[in-house]
Amino acid sequence: MNAVRCEGVVQIYKAQDVEVVALRDVDLVVDEGETVALLGPSGAGKTTLLWLLAGLLRPSAGRVRVAGADLAALDQRGLDRLRATQLGVLLQNPSRNLLPYLDAGQNVAFAQRGARRDRRRARELLDRVGLAARTVAGRMSGGEQQRLAMAVALANRPRLLLADEPTSQLDAANAQAVIELIRQAAREEGTTAVVVTHDVAVSEALGRTVTIRDGRVGAEGLRGEEFVVVGREGTVQIPPEYHHLLPPGSRARIEPLEDGVAVRRAEP
Amino acid sequence: MIMRGLWERRTPALVVLVIAIVPVASAVVGPLYADASRTTIVRTVLSRAPVEAKGWRYTVKGDRDIRRELAAFTAGARFLTEPVFGMEVDSPIVHSDVIVPLMWQEGQCEHVRIVRGRCPSAAREIMVSEDAGYRVGARVALTSVVASSPGDTGYKPVPLRVVGLYRPVSAADPFWFGRSLFAAEAQGTDKRAEPFFTARETRDAVVITGVLYAGDQAPGWADYGIVYVDPARMTGSDVQRLAAMQATAVDMGQQSGVAVFSWIDGPLRDIGRQTGTLAVPTYLVIGQLVGLGWLLLFQTVGDLVRARSPETALARLRGYGRLRVWLFMLTEPLVLLAAAYPLGVLAGRAAGEAIVAALLPGVPVGLTPGAALAGAAALAGGLPAAVVAAWRTARRPVTEEWRRTPRRARQSWVVDAVVLAVAGLGLLELLGTGVITDASAQRTGALAVPALIALALALLARRLLPPLVRLLFGLTRRRGGLGPFLALRQVARGPVAAGSVIVLGTAFGLATFAVCAWTATIGNYAETARFHLGAPGAIEVGPVSPRRLAEAVRAADPAGGAAAPVVRVPGTVSMIATDPARLARVGHWRPDRAGGVRLADATSRLSGPDLPRVPLSGDRIRLRISHEPVPEGWQVRLFAVVRVPGRVGPAQLAVARLAGTGGAHAWPLPPECAKEPCELRSIRTEVHAPQSPDEDPFAIPTIHPTVKAVEVRSGGRWRPVDAALTDRRRWEGDGHAGPDGLSMPVGPLVAGGMRLVLTPAKIPAIQLGPVGDREMPGLDRLHAARTAAVARTTAAPGLSDTGVIVDLEQADRVSFGVAEEARFEVWTAAGKAAAVADALRAQGLTVVSIRHVADLEARFAGEGPGLALLLLLASAIAAAALALGRTVLALYTAARRRRHELAALEASGARRGALRAALLLEQVVTVCAGLLTGLAAGLLAARAALERIPQFAEPPASPPLPFEVAPAAVALLAGVTALVSLLATAVVSEVLLRGVRVEELRA
Repeated sequence: MNAVRCEGVVQIYKAQDVEVVALRDVDLVVDEGETVALLGPSGAGKTTLLWLLAGLLRPSAGRVRVAGADLAALDQRGLDRLRATQLGVLLQNPSRNLLPYLDAGQNVAFAQRGARRDRRRARELLDRVGLAARTVAGRMSGGEQQRLAMAVALANRPRLLLADEPTSQLDAANAQAVIELIRQAAREEGTTAVVVTHDVAVSEALGRTVTIRDGRVGAEGLRGEEFVVVGREGTVQIPPEYHHLLPPGSRARIEPLEDGVAVRRAEP
Repeated sequence: MIMRGLWERRTPALVVLVIAIVPVASAVVGPLYADASRTTIVRTVLSRAPVEAKGWRYTVKGDRDIRRELAAFTAGARFLTEPVFGMEVDSPIVHSDVIVPLMWQEGQCEHVRIVRGRCPSAAREIMVSEDAGYRVGARVALTSVVASSPGDTGYKPVPLRVVGLYRPVSAADPFWFGRSLFAAEAQGTDKRAEPFFTARETRDAVVITGVLYAGDQAPGWADYGIVYVDPARMTGSDVQRLAAMQATAVDMGQQSGVAVFSWIDGPLRDIGRQTGTLAVPTYLVIGQLVGLGWLLLFQTVGDLVRARSPETALARLRGYGRLRVWLFMLTEPLVLLAAAYPLGVLAGRAAGEAIVAALLPGVPVGLTPGAALAGAAALAGGLPAAVVAAWRTARRPVTEEWRRTPRRARQSWVVDAVVLAVAGLGLLELLGTGVITDASAQRTGALAVPALIALALALLARRLLPPLVRLLFGLTRRRGGLGPFLALRQVARGPVAAGSVIVLGTAFGLATFAVCAWTATIGNYAETARFHLGAPGAIEVGPVSPRRLAEAVRAADPAGGAAAPVVRVPGTVSMIATDPARLARVGHWRPDRAGGVRLADATSRLSGPDLPRVPLSGDRIRLRISHEPVPEGWQVRLFAVVRVPGRVGPAQLAVARLAGTGGAHAWPLPPECAKEPCELRSIRTEVHAPQSPDEDPFAIPTIHPTVKAVEVRSGGRWRPVDAALTDRRRWEGDGHAGPDGLSMPVGPLVAGGMRLVLTPAKIPAIQLGPVGDREMPGLDRLHAARTAAVARTTAAPGLSDTGVIVDLEQADRVSFGVAEEARFEVWTAAGKAAAVADALRAQGLTVVSIRHVADLEARFAGEGPGLALLLLLASAIAAAALALGRTVLALYTAARRRRHELAALEASGARRGALRAALLLEQVVTVCAGLLTGLAAGLLAARAALERIPQFAEPPASPPLPFEVAPAAVALLAGVTALVSLLATAVVSEVLLRGVRVEELRA
């Protein structure tokens, strides 16, 4: 079963009376236990896609299935249940994930309240992230807060971990610790992870990369190899590194090959 | 977790707590204050009431048990004194028609002075008045008090042994329940003697016989019990019980064998009227303050809920169910509100005690269920606030919480439109019912005007401020620097500024109105008190003759600048009779109320010619009369109309019955004339002339008796009296005075009379109101004289309604004595009352009371409307201070949320000074907008409603009330508020600025 399946997802929002298309015809499938890094420039729609997967936004069009559930078919109660039991969400900026006046143990317990309180799990997670249960979140360093936020996100043994820039404000050592936590969760608990990141170290550490450009899935990387993705209407995004060969706006010829097509510039 | 959260948000939590406590405390203070005010009114009215209006005299006859019945009657009434029991029977003294009460009353001997002998202690012993003429040891028998002696078959009056003689101490002693038991106070007949006091044991030793009257079951003792209301133990809540007791008393009085006497109906009516003027204004004031408290709570609780919105979003992100999210959001505000209730109640009680102790000393304050309920109702305003804020937070998309630039929510007009519509409808209703337009009466509804206007203006200002500020954008872009630009941009964004303008505008509007209302009201009280009292001080003295009063004042103040004698006589046209020259020196007067006439000018025209009176000192009067022969069958009598000292009304002395052609006719003068001169005022005739039907009435002769001389006998010798009988200017009437004497026609159609001219035909008077041709009451209230206006005024010293001020000498010349209703006063200049009072005492006058203008002002202020306005003033100022605090805090919280933005601006090169200016200006603009809106609303409300709000329990017809708002007080309020605001905003800006660090951007 797929952990995530997006089919033709479109997301449009209104800002200052102007409609902005954040995602257009996004198709994405993530298998159970897979770890995926969502890459792309700022404003490409990565975070929007993450919020759609978390059920925090409803897509303008298309379908999103998470852990086998069609999010559009779920009512608020169903969504709450899904988020409590199946999803772990790590927001960008570690402090946003925590209640600063609670200690580490209480923060984990706060996350468990929506599902089932599991003290052993909480202790185990805090051991895993190397934090003392009694330390108050507001007094932790940025790295400690991020590790705690990871523990909070994993509090209910989620089937899907959604993380937004989990290493953006961390030094290399702390970033590595966070990456290891994600990998450990996938390895030991079968947690599927979808991680929005600009950090090469993260993308290299995860099993697959998906690059989003202008609201579309433009490329995927698997086992060190980069692929372009043929879109729903047959569209293909030329990666920026080839723009000097085939600049945007130029005319091209498509030549059929046995196993595909070749795209060649029509004018010098 | 809740406590940790509260500690994390300790500042807003503390503010919510304080702001929640205040409406609760205000709401609790209101009923406590109203109760205390009611108690004050009740105690004041009862204290001033005569003794027989302070309780009941419950009398039973026959076999009824007075103690049991009285106990049932007074059950549960803890405000009553211990009952005093007694028994009484009226009986004629044997061989006499004098009726005497034989009575026993518990503790009787402590309330009379025993001048000889002792208190009766055994059966058949009595104590009698020393004036009764009995000696100790004498025996007296009463017709109805009988006993059977050994050997007798019937009953005979039993001799009662006199064991003591007493002298009454005071009939005013409440012990006697205002009964006229003693001769000095007994009215009318002298056939009723002062009581014989006996011992209780006499009851078992005698038998009572007598005539049975309707309702009497059998002749016998009347048993009675006297119970008094103790004003010091009365509270406002006891009034219902008091009224119920009186209703029971009236019912009981219908029963056979029971009589309940009391005048307590009068005080009850007075209490009802006064508390009626207190209740509605007080509750209207409290209602407005609680409403304002709700507004504050609504805003502040909303702030607290919004302060938790990131946590709420996190809870929703973690999959909390809807109910759990709601609980999560509402727990903190609800905990705070729950904590605020007992604290608010305690604070309200403490504040109530302090206010009552300061304003209504001696009145107990206790927490009542009503007060507790009012506190809970006030707190209820926080609940919808919490629910609405939570609902908004719960519906807000979670992702909005994490956006760097949250999307601006369009502000709905719906709530504003509804509130504006309600305010507008309220104002229209007040306009329609004449509350605003009709300045001729005080309307309680007018007290709702300020809140409605303030709320409406605040809502409009809230809507107008952002666009107005946006208009200045261009200016700040071109010049003015970054600070003003940032400040105006933030204000134009709206939400914080809007809420602050509403709260501040409404609260400050109410405070401005309260200051206007209070200053105008105390000005009105002062003006009214000055005129009603007449002078800076008024000494009431016991009844004396006007002449004696004037002499005493002359002796007490020989220079004439410190005191003026005054006799007040009530009536539809009331009268102030005084010494004009002295009044001019001490009386309160405003020439602008009298067409520019000064008091000295007006009073200089009050005195009339000093025409000599005709005193009659002696025991007999004799008139020498000549006349034509009296026609046959006629009976002609000639009367001398005489003023007798100490009597009210003329004494008609039938001096002569005419016969023949004249002669000397004598008649006894009233005994008083021997001690103090009486006065001859007029001579009149009466005729009885039988007439046959066929007789031409015009042909019947008229005779003209002529009084040639008046004489009085004193010490056995007759001496002539100069009655100016030949001076035509001194006598007026049907006849004439001429060289032959005073002649007047007498016939079947005319019975002439002549009046001695002592005053002008119309007494010169300063007139207030539509006196017209109506008679003034005169000192004797016989309404015998009219007045001629020497000045007309709309406000006169000592007069509260239509009336006249006349010369005391002139008033005395046209009156026959002084009526019981007249009050004798001496008006004094400022600071002279005590010295004049001492001097009057030295002159032998009884000083009843000394009042100053301040006393009367305090009395007005202590009436229902005054108490309500005082509550409005204190509470509105407190609410305004609270609103200001809340506004500064809301601005602080909003700016704190923008620290990131400010840090970014600083990182991008904005100077700290510009940021400081931005923060300061933003807050100043918001606070000033609120204050100016409030000031405008308060002044507008004052203009619309000031002259209609209730100020007096009984609005006076005069003087015209000035309704002068003290600009200094309003300026002081505005100035202090502005200064405090500026200081607060400066401090808050600085604190905020110090919290802005570029490092924050890395977080």
